[in-house]
Amino acid sequence: MIDIWTIVRFLHVLGAIIWVGGQLTITIVVLPPVRRMLSADDRAGMLRTVGKRFAIITMAVFLPNQVTTGVLLAWQHGVTWATLLQPGYGRILAAKLLLFTLVMVAAALHGIAQARHQPGKARAASITALVGSLGVILLATALAESTAH
Amino acid sequence: MTQFVDLIPPPARGRRSGPRGSVFVWANIVVLGWLALAVALLAVHDVLGLPVWVALHALLLGAVTNAIVIWSEHFVVTLCRVPGPPPRRLALGLTVLNLFITAALIGVAADATVVAGAGGAGVAVIATVHTIALFRMTRTALPGRFGYLVGYYTAASAALVLGALSGAALAIGAAQWYVRLWTAHVHLTLLGWVGLSVLGTLFTLWPTTTGTRITDSTLTAARRALPTLAAGLLAAVAGMLTATVWVTVAGLLCYTAGIVLTIIPLRPATTPHGPAAWMLAAATAWLGISVLLDAVRLLVAGSVEDLPGVVTTVMPVLAVGFAAQVLVGALTKLLPVVLGRGPAEHRAIADILARGWQLRLIAANLAVPLVAVGLPSPLPQLGWALAALSVATFLVLALRVAIPVARRGAFPLEPAQKQAHGTTSGVLAGLIAVALAVAVAGSGQDTTATAPVSAPTHTVEVTLTGMRVHPDTVDVPAGTRLVLRVTNQEAMPHDLRLDTGQHTPRLHHGETALLDVGPVGETRHAWCTVAGHRAAGMTMTIRTPSDHQHTTPDSHSDDNGNNSDTAPTAGLDLAADPTPGWVPRDATLAPTTATLHRIELRATEQDLEVAPGRRERRWTFADTSPGTVPGPTLHGRVGDQFEITLINDTTIGHGMDFHASALAPDGPMRTIGPGERLVYRFTATRAGAWLYHCSTMPMSQHIANGMYGAVIIDPPDLPAVDHEYLMVSSQLYLGAPGSDNQVRKIQAGQPDGWMFNGMAAQYDHAPLTAHPGQRIRIWLVNAGPGDSTAFHVVGAQFDTVYKEGARLLRPSETAGGAQVLDLAPAQGGFVELTFPEPGHYPFVDHDMRHAENGAHGLFTVTEQHR
Repeated sequence: MIDIWTIVRFLHVLGAIIWVGGQLTITIVVLPPVRRMLSADDRAGMLRTVGKRFAIITMAVFLPNQVTTGVLLAWQHGVTWATLLQPGYGRILAAKLLLFTLVMVAAALHGIAQARHQPGKARAASITALVGSLGVILLATALAESTAH
Repeated sequence: MTQFVDLIPPPARGRRSGPRGSVFVWANIVVLGWLALAVALLAVHDVLGLPVWVALHALLLGAVTNAIVIWSEHFVVTLCRVPGPPPRRLALGLTVLNLFITAALIGVAADATVVAGAGGAGVAVIATVHTIALFRMTRTALPGRFGYLVGYYTAASAALVLGALSGAALAIGAAQWYVRLWTAHVHLTLLGWVGLSVLGTLFTLWPTTTGTRITDSTLTAARRALPTLAAGLLAAVAGMLTATVWVTVAGLLCYTAGIVLTIIPLRPATTPHGPAAWMLAAATAWLGISVLLDAVRLLVAGSVEDLPGVVTTVMPVLAVGFAAQVLVGALTKLLPVVLGRGPAEHRAIADILARGWQLRLIAANLAVPLVAVGLPSPLPQLGWALAALSVATFLVLALRVAIPVARRGAFPLEPAQKQAHGTTSGVLAGLIAVALAVAVAGSGQDTTATAPVSAPTHTVEVTLTGMRVHPDTVDVPAGTRLVLRVTNQEAMPHDLRLDTGQHTPRLHHGETALLDVGPVGETRHAWCTVAGHRAAGMTMTIRTPSDHQHTTPDSHSDDNGNNSDTAPTAGLDLAADPTPGWVPRDATLAPTTATLHRIELRATEQDLEVAPGRRERRWTFADTSPGTVPGPTLHGRVGDQFEITLINDTTIGHGMDFHASALAPDGPMRTIGPGERLVYRFTATRAGAWLYHCSTMPMSQHIANGMYGAVIIDPPDLPAVDHEYLMVSSQLYLGAPGSDNQVRKIQAGQPDGWMFNGMAAQYDHAPLTAHPGQRIRIWLVNAGPGDSTAFHVVGAQFDTVYKEGARLLRPSETAGGAQVLDLAPAQGGFVELTFPEPGHYPFVDHDMRHAENGAHGLFTVTEQHR
């Protein structure tokens, strides 16, 4: 049945789809043709615009949404600070939160490096964030399985 | 004389790309493919339930073996200036080799021993062909200064032939030879096939890599080192096969000396630079260290028994430090040679392959002590993750250059394409973060999956020793929550894995782990996942006693191929000792005294001995606690009055049905609820051996679980005898009363055993006694619930038979005798006999299926001492 918790979980999953899907789409779909087809100046301008837009969406919508819905879902599952350390559900959730924090740090570093015109570092940070995000999805899947037991 | 070596042979006709054509490029991609598979399997083997063996063999048998075959051939062709085989033959040979390798891997992973054995044997055949091909190549032309290579490669191939054959034998199942064959297999393949190939190649590859000259002294050292290495390997393997410690140690030390002989002339004058040089150096160092470690640890252990334990700590060093690293190092040097067509392409490819090499080098070599030293979790896992990441990163780089070459025939050299750096370090950083997070998430025992279950918990001690699981069969009542306490008592590491996927970690000598099987609903199988151990017989079956009843009646063997003609009692061990404190049911029929029999019968539930050493919950009737099966015997004469008060002390309804009474059943035989009482009165009007039982439906279950007893009403003219015994025969249905399994068996009429007086083989453990010439009367009631009985005493004859109220035979009728009293369910009677002489007279239900499965007892007849 669809209840309020279904909606909360839907918003949480939707946020993850937009964030991870957005990164994947930009890296795999958008960037290669942009590199090939646009001149260096156009490319820089285009990438800066896309990057800024993604950053704004992240800060204004994605992060608040994930944190709010995440806290609500944890509360619904009866997670406390103590249960976060217990093996199983709690520990998987803790690992997922840590990894998510790392991903956010990497994303911030990406923005900083981009602003300082350090393309190598920016690329490394963005790919770290992307791989880390996939790891978050993996742990989220493990979390769902652990509750199914 | 010194010279620089060019590894690129003179251009051959019809050359398409690289030095040896597209076959060679594709062969190297196959190597990379195996390497990728090894890394992937290392990461997910646990999830897929595959033994770590598969990942190890994808690396050693897949990637390393392919690389050795193609590159040893290439080195011989290039350096000895001999014509190579036509590309088509090379392609065919490699294809067949990879098919056999795949068969071996799939065979072990899927537990198909024949396939695994065929794969191993096939690899041996290909290795033989390869050896002969190398030999013939050098016979057609003078090998020259580099002829020593052929010696190394031939010795290595011979080691592979023996290694593959021993591997095939292990996969098929080598029972008591397992440990010796296994250690020989490991050393033949790692030190022989991989070690000799690498060391031989090193004499030319190392100078090429470091840009130094090959001197005559190097080549002399190469010729000298081989006999030392080969002799060391032979001695070590001979020592392992004959279980002689000092020969093994001497062989390993001799091999170490061979490595030293190799290293001394190759020691660089200046610090080597570049990824290939560092990786080759580190790999060779790990080879030396591991062989020395092998020898020293074996010397300290002092027994070949401990060799498997020693080898298991050395093997990760050889796999991660030596084999994987030497492969990556060599490919870093050699791939540009194959894939590029000119100096510019070589440099471009080498640049790509060198990306992040310092990080990769540090990760791989940091991983070696982590995986080898036996550190607490999660450090070994971290080590494996580091090693896998290091190799995986190289793989990504290598495939990035190899696949375009294979597809387009040339490396796309477009220096104008300015690529932003950071991809590799980004992927690496991300993967490390994910690996750490997954390690944290997976650490500790997941308590959510093992929420407390209300079922009774049963813990069984299991030992792994002598390539066997003890006990190899565990029987538990259906629904029992089973925990196995698994201890490895052998130097060879073992584990135990259930068909449901739960498993213990790999246990070293003396280690113990708990394996929570959970509630057991049906037959489960468990085995050791170390390659070949299952084939060698390390299997275990966990059964609920009913399970095997449901196999087809005509099947004569169970899942393990054991004969199951005695299937009904497979859950019973009739020769086992009864539990301590066990008291047999007194078979003596107490004499009757009163004419009014007033008795209180309580319906209770008790844990009772139903077979030797086996106690199970039963429903019983009890006059005074504790209850018994059969219930209390009532003994009277015709005309006696009986007043029975039935009290239900259980949680379900029960009733009473006395066949010795004739009355309207409506009231007296009604079912009463828990805590209720019922008074049942009757007068015995007819003599006979009568059954009483619970009258509540389904009666089959109530009777099968023990709610029955006998009423003996003596015939009026019954003479006194020396001994009067009573036997109530019945079927034994193991399992929790009313459980699905038990009900299924009862409905199918497939008992686990047959018994007299409520316990299978009871009077084998507590024989009845008599003296020669004494008159014995044996009363018999068949309680059922279903089978008929044919009572017989071996070595004796009945002169009196009384059945269902009629005398069928009297002693006065001297001419005739009887051998069997046959009773349908609920029938009763008695027989009389005298034993002619001292001895042991078995009494049986002469339906031999019943006798052999519990309906069996003994009369011990001894001379009377006056």
